Amino acid sequence: MMVRQLLFVIILWLGLLARAQNKQLMYDFTEIPQALLLNPGMETDFKWYSGIPTLSGLSIQAGSNGLSVNDLFANDGLDFNDKVRDKVIQGMSYRDEFSSTLQLEILNGGYRSKDPSVFYSFGVYAESDVIMYWPKDYGILAFEGNADKLNERFDLGHLNARGEVLSVFHFGMNKRMDNNLILGARGKIYSSILDFNSTNNTGYFETTDGQNNILSNTLRADMQLRTSGINAIETAEDDGNVPATIVKRGFFGGNLGLGLDLGFTYHFNRQMVLTGSLLDLGFIYHANAVENFTLDGSATTEGIEIILPDALLNPTQDFWEDLVDEIEALVPFEETTKSYMTFRPTRLYASLRYNFGESTENPKACDCDYSPSGRTNNILKYRNSVGGQLYVIKRPRGPQGAITAFYQRRFGNFMATKATYTVDKFTFTNVGLGISLQAGPINLYLMADNLLAYRNIAASNYASFQFGLNIISWEKK
Amino acid sequence: MKKIRTYFWFVCSLLLMLSCMEEQDFDQYDDLSITPTFEASILFLEVPERTINLISGLNTYSQSFNFDAFAEDIFSERVLEGVLTYQIENTTSKPLEIIIEFLDEAGVVLDTEMFQIDPEPIAILHREIAYGPTGKSIDIIRNTSGITLTAINLGDNTSTSSQPNALISLKSTGKFTVRLK
Repeated sequence: MMVRQLLFVIILWLGLLARAQNKQLMYDFTEIPQALLLNPGMETDFKWYSGIPTLSGLSIQAGSNGLSVNDLFANDGLDFNDKVRDKVIQGMSYRDEFSSTLQLEILNGGYRSKDPSVFYSFGVYAESDVIMYWPKDYGILAFEGNADKLNERFDLGHLNARGEVLSVFHFGMNKRMDNNLILGARGKIYSSILDFNSTNNTGYFETTDGQNNILSNTLRADMQLRTSGINAIETAEDDGNVPATIVKRGFFGGNLGLGLDLGFTYHFNRQMVLTGSLLDLGFIYHANAVENFTLDGSATTEGIEIILPDALLNPTQDFWEDLVDEIEALVPFEETTKSYMTFRPTRLYASLRYNFGESTENPKACDCDYSPSGRTNNILKYRNSVGGQLYVIKRPRGPQGAITAFYQRRFGNFMATKATYTVDKFTFTNVGLGISLQAGPINLYLMADNLLAYRNIAASNYASFQFGLNIISWEKK
Repeated sequence: MKKIRTYFWFVCSLLLMLSCMEEQDFDQYDDLSITPTFEASILFLEVPERTINLISGLNTYSQSFNFDAFAEDIFSERVLEGVLTYQIENTTSKPLEIIIEFLDEAGVVLDTEMFQIDPEPIAILHREIAYGPTGKSIDIIRNTSGITLTAINLGDNTSTSSQPNALISLKSTGKFTVRLK
């Protein structure tokens, strides 16, 4: 029962998205303060804002481009083993991935400086990010074995996974340089709670015709798994103080790193706007609670070999133990506590937006129905915006991209919506919808992605959800 | 704050209610059967004719040795069936007998395989022994912890083969299906 639950959780949690971290709905949604985390150079017209602790921002994304829950567990009368063989073992490629991202804001706030062109924002959020590529050859080896697969190489490089849980302390500055250009930067301190990565593996396992014996098995491996924090949490589990250990490691008691976000907004004119940002240019240095495992070497075996007369020299020779020892010496499995550095999954966003609905310096003269009362006139809000966005993230097997077309519509000064259509290598049918509601100073936003999949959520390869609450002030600066 | 939470859960519930999901049957996981088949060489024995001739008066070579490959828990608790394949090639001038005995941890013989092979020019013997539902008891494999290998010269110690590099060789592989799930 536990195994079944675990499998379900893994598939649902690791198995619902592959474009983890693409927040195309949130990006450049200027009514929502959290959009500053995606572009520190975003247009802002808030005087100050404060996120409601732990409720200001929650985003969950999970998925797999190669597999959905429905693929395996649909009550369709098909043999489950055939489905696993067809959809997973044979159906998925080593480039297919399972990934998930969770981000929970613990604290978030911002305020405008005495210099009204400068806006500061700061906060703390917890994040987990896991990505695992489908280890196809390991799957074939486990499901079918190596029998009758002469000269077929099982690529050990198919093992490619990494994951981390960390908290991020950040402080950002957003400055309007002139009427056309806004620049922003955000400094970050990462406090890693736990980390694991096994991303640069090479080698193979192969069965060939033997030279002496019938078959020869060759293992050539250069593999490593690096971890930090996991053994600290295991120890805490034994001691019964896991929460305290996680909190401690999340508040500078773990491994630390530094990062930087950069962003800009540029107005070609009042209606045409270009934005861009580069996020998480940073690293974490893991020196605390580190545990690494390596398998490095090459060995070929044809079983126990007894060749006379040499074997007569030592009649008590333990051929089996000698063989095991020889292989272990040739391909040693070692454990180290050597420090290591990881680089954050850097992300790039860019967008080109066209605003329409006549607008003037005086909102009252605008024929649009959006009037940002209480706000300054140097940022004009148009009733409609349309445009395209680009997203690229650095992943272990190279950059992954997505393009998005969006339409944004504002209804009075109490609601703004954004609809997106996103295309990437995983799906051509990702339609998302985001809404920001303003009730006095209370701002509530809600975003959901891949809405077409809600026709059968179990068949979805991807699901994402974002929610948050803020208190915003637009008092005269 | 309470109102906000209520609103949040209301929205989540609405989203879930509006979504649909075809009937799923997670009990299918119980039907999953993972039974890969692995194969590898097990034992290689080589005795040149000149070595046989060197040991005059002693026509039997016997060696018992530890063989825990089958006794490892990860294998013995999961093995379902398998085949041991032997290939014996004799290019010496002597008829030979080879006996392979599988022993348990206490040294008790669990199974014996005997091969008699003719002398040159080239005698090749190929034999496959199945273990499991269609063959001998798989418990022989599960409980094997050692092997005794005996080679008996049924000829003389003086004759020489007309074949170059005359020798007798025993090759063997194991091909076993194990249950991982």
